[in-house]
Amino acid sequence: KGRRNQRGKNRGCVLTEIHLNVTDLDLGYETKEELIFRYCSGSCDAAETTYDKILKNLTRKKKLVTDKVRQACCRPTAFDDDLSFLDDNLVYHILKKHSAKRCGCV
Amino acid sequence: EPVLSKGNNCLDAAKACNLNDTCKRFRSAYITPCTTSISNEICNKRKCHKALRLFFDKVPPRHSYGMLFCSCRDVACTERRRQTIVPACSYEDKEKPNCLNLQATCKKNYVCRSRLADFFTNCRPESRSVSGCLKENYAHCLLAYSGLIGTVMTPNYIDSNSLSVAPWCDCSNSGNDIDECLKFLNFFQDNTCLKNAIQAFGNGTDVNVW
Repeated sequence: KGRRNQRGKNRGCVLTEIHLNVTDLDLGYETKEELIFRYCSGSCDAAETTYDKILKNLTRKKKLVTDKVRQACCRPTAFDDDLSFLDDNLVYHILKKHSAKRCGCV
Repeated sequence: EPVLSKGNNCLDAAKACNLNDTCKRFRSAYITPCTTSISNEICNKRKCHKALRLFFDKVPPRHSYGMLFCSCRDVACTERRRQTIVPACSYEDKEKPNCLNLQATCKKNYVCRSRLADFFTNCRPESRSVSGCLKENYAHCLLAYSGLIGTVMTPNYIDSNSLSVAPWCDCSNSGNDIDECLKFLNFFQDNTCLKNAIQAFGNGTDVNVW
């Protein structure tokens, strides 16, 4: 949806993948199986919406009572399919929402 | 000491599956219903069978057969191979029916009836042929065999030491039909054509077909 036309804007926020052992995830599973882990990284510095712009301006002018307002973050907007694996004791496990499919500044 | 420690062909096939988006998706799609218990039952067998049929229908043989027909040297490997179809849900049952009764149940279902017929046609042994098969086509035999997975005739490896397979049935209480029953069961358990086909795939020796 128009992602290709956003040249220069948030170009930094992209999907990156890394080949890992399931044990690298440190979720407590004992298995020799592996996976492709996909994650979102990059900057969302360029204000995407008028909302972000206003927040930035108000923060600069110290007009906000709370400082907990955040700029957009590079986060998954959709997750990859579930991953299943058999552990060393012959028990199956399924990981849900463990890996990103699409990224966006949200 | 965990059962599965060293690497093996079945583990390599599982790794390869999860690195392939299609195989990963359809694998999880059957592991989920086959391992989810529902009110007193270990799983929803009907949903597990359906998802298993989909897995073998949609996933390229290099991945699906890779996990089902991997060649093994140790128990860690053969146990993993036996677990491929999640037998606790898809295979085992509280009672073991007589094989001829199971065959009758299968014949009432269109999919099961046609896939069983394919299996008997394509995996028929022939001692005089080099391949051990009358049809001399291992790929067709493996396709017919894997086609039974997800039907009431779902077969699996029966022990860790051999390539013997059987559906979940036996020939006790066969009465006068004992010979017919044993003939049926032995077509699975003691079938040179099927064993050669599985071995050829596992060793990668049937180069003409794959």
